[in-house]
Amino acid sequence: MIILDGLLQGILMGLLFALVALGLTIIFGVMDIVNFAHGEFLMIGMYTAYWTSLLLHIDPLITLPACVIVGMLLGLASYYWLVKYLIRGPMIAQLFGTFGLMLFLRYLAQFLFGTDYRIIQKGLLVGKSLSVGPFIIDWTKLSTAILSLLAFILVYYLLHRTKLGKALRATALNKEAAAYMGIRTERMNALAWAIGGGTVGIAGGLLVNFWYVYPTIGLVFVMIAFASVAMGGFGSIKGAFFAGVLIGMIEMLFPVFGHLIGWDFLGPHFKFTVVYFAYFIIVVLRPQGLFGWTR
Amino acid sequence: MDTLKDVFDFRDFSKAERIGLLLFSIFLFVFPWLGTGSFVKAVMIQFLLFSLFGMGWNTIGGYGGQVELGKAQYVGIGAYTVALMMVWWKIPFWVSMPIGVLIALGYSFIIGYPLFRLKGHYFAIATICTSLVLQDIFINWKLVGAAKGIELPIHEHPDFLYMQFKSDNYYFYFIMVLFFAGLFYMNWFRKSKLGYQLRMIKDDEEAAESLGIDARWCKIKAYSIASAFVAVGGGFLAVYNLYIDPYSVMDLDLSIKIALMSMLGGAASMWGPIIGAAFLVPLDRFLGSWLGGQRGLIGVDFMIYSALIMIVSAYQPRGIWGIVEQLRRRGK
Repeated sequence: MIILDGLLQGILMGLLFALVALGLTIIFGVMDIVNFAHGEFLMIGMYTAYWTSLLLHIDPLITLPACVIVGMLLGLASYYWLVKYLIRGPMIAQLFGTFGLMLFLRYLAQFLFGTDYRIIQKGLLVGKSLSVGPFIIDWTKLSTAILSLLAFILVYYLLHRTKLGKALRATALNKEAAAYMGIRTERMNALAWAIGGGTVGIAGGLLVNFWYVYPTIGLVFVMIAFASVAMGGFGSIKGAFFAGVLIGMIEMLFPVFGHLIGWDFLGPHFKFTVVYFAYFIIVVLRPQGLFGWTR
Repeated sequence: MDTLKDVFDFRDFSKAERIGLLLFSIFLFVFPWLGTGSFVKAVMIQFLLFSLFGMGWNTIGGYGGQVELGKAQYVGIGAYTVALMMVWWKIPFWVSMPIGVLIALGYSFIIGYPLFRLKGHYFAIATICTSLVLQDIFINWKLVGAAKGIELPIHEHPDFLYMQFKSDNYYFYFIMVLFFAGLFYMNWFRKSKLGYQLRMIKDDEEAAESLGIDARWCKIKAYSIASAFVAVGGGFLAVYNLYIDPYSVMDLDLSIKIALMSMLGGAASMWGPIIGAAFLVPLDRFLGSWLGGQRGLIGVDFMIYSALIMIVSAYQPRGIWGIVEQLRRRGK
C-alpha cells in the first residue's frame, strides 16, 4: 500500500518535473544549447504567481496566464539579448553564458525579494485534499498534474499537427536546409525560447501552490530537468514526458524502499542524489537517452 | 634530461611574455614585505589557489576541450582527507596531502572511465551530477561531520608538520611554491606527448582516433592530472581555513568558478588561468566586501559578476588572452 501511495505521489510530482523538462528539451532540440537558467525561469514563474495573487487578491489559479506571459517574455528577452550572441561561440561559452544568466536572475530575485521562503497560503485549492479509497491526494498536486498533461498535449499538437510546428521541427533537424526552404530560423529559435519560457512559467505558477519559493530553488529543479531531458534523450518531447514521470517515481519510491529494506539512512534527503545517480547510469549505458534520436 | 629541459624551457614564448613572467615572479617573492593589509594578503592567497585550480582544469578543459564542471568534488576529497586524517589520527599534513591526492587520482579513474564514454552536453551535465552526488553523501554522512563540517584542531604553537602558522606569510609562500610547481608542470605538459594528443582530440576526435590515439584513455589521463592538481589545492584549503564543510569545498559554484576563471582568462593557453584568476578573484572579493556589506544591496556584487560572465561569453569566448593574441596579430 505504501508503495502504491508512493507511486501515485511520484506520478503526480513527475508530471510537474516533465513540464519543467519540456521547455528545456524544446530549446535544446531546436538550438542545441543547454539552458542553465531554466530553473531560474521556474523561480520567476513562482514569484509571479505569488506576488500577483498576493497583491491583486486573486486566486493563484487565475494568475497562470500571467505566469505564461512572464515566462515567454523572459525566454524572448534571453534569446534576443544573450543567446543570439552566444550561439556564435563554442559550446563552453554557451554553457557559461546561460550559467551567467542563471546567476544573474537568482541574485536579482534575492535583491528584489530577499531570501525569505514564501508559499501561497490561501487559494481555491490550497490545503484541500481529495481522498480516493485509502489514498489522499492534494488538490493542488492533482490540478498541477492535469494542467501539466494538458500543456504537454497542447505543445505536442503544436509541434506535430500545425505548420508552425513543422517549421520548428525542420529547424531542429537541419538549420541550413530549413533556411533554404524559406523558414526564418531566427524566428523559430525565438519561438522555441518563448515556448520554453512559457511552459516553465506555468510550471512555476503551479508549483508555488505547494512548494516554497526562494531565490536558489532553481538549481534543484534544473538538475532534475537535466536528468529528465538526458534520460529521455535531448530534444525528445515524448522522452522528456516519460523520463519526468519516471524520475518523479524514483524520487518518491526511493525513500520508501530504503525504509522497507531497513536501510533508514537512505532517507528522503537522498531522493535527489538518486536522481543524479540514475542520470549518470542511464547516460553511460545508453548515451542517446531512452527515446533519443541519433543525429 | 630532456624532460627537465622542457620543464624550465620558456624560450618559445615571446620576449614580452618572459619578462612579464619574471616581473610577476619577483613581485610574488617580495609581496609579503610590501606591508599590505591582511585582506589583500588573503585575496592574494585565494588568487594563487585559484590559479592552481585553473591550471589543473586547463589540462582537461582547455587543452582537451572537455567542458568539465565537477572539479569541486576533488577539492573536497583533498580537503577532507587532510582534515579527517588530522582529526582522527593526528597524521601530519605532509603525509595526508599526498594520500589525498592518491585518493583523488584513484577516484578520478573510477569516475573517469564511464564518464568519458560521454560527449558534449551529456558529459558536462554528468560531471555536475557526480559532484553533486558526492556532496550530498558528505552532507548526510555523520561520520565525517555531515552538514556541520569539521574543524581542524588548532595548535598553540606554529607547527610546520601540521602546517599551522600564526602569520599568513607562510601560507602565502607555501601556496606560491605550489603555484610555481604547477606552472612548471604545465610548461612541460603543453609540450608533452599527452598535451599534443589532447589538442588533436579537441580539434578533431575522429581524425585523432584514426591516427591511433586512444582518445578516451588520453582524456582519462588528463582528467586525473587535473584532479590531482585540484586535490593539492583542496588539502591546502583545509589547513588554511582550519574549517571545512561540504558547502564550502564541494559546491557547484566552486566547480563553476574554477572552469570560469580559466575560460575568462583564455582556455588552452599557458597564462589564461592565471590571468582569469587575477581578474576574477579580486573582483569577487572586493565587490563582495564593498557591496555585500551594505544594507539592501545583497546580491548586487553577484549580479555584476554574472553580467560580466554573460558579456565575456557572448563577445569574446576565447577570453582575455584571446583579445591579447588578436591585438598582437593585428600589430604584426
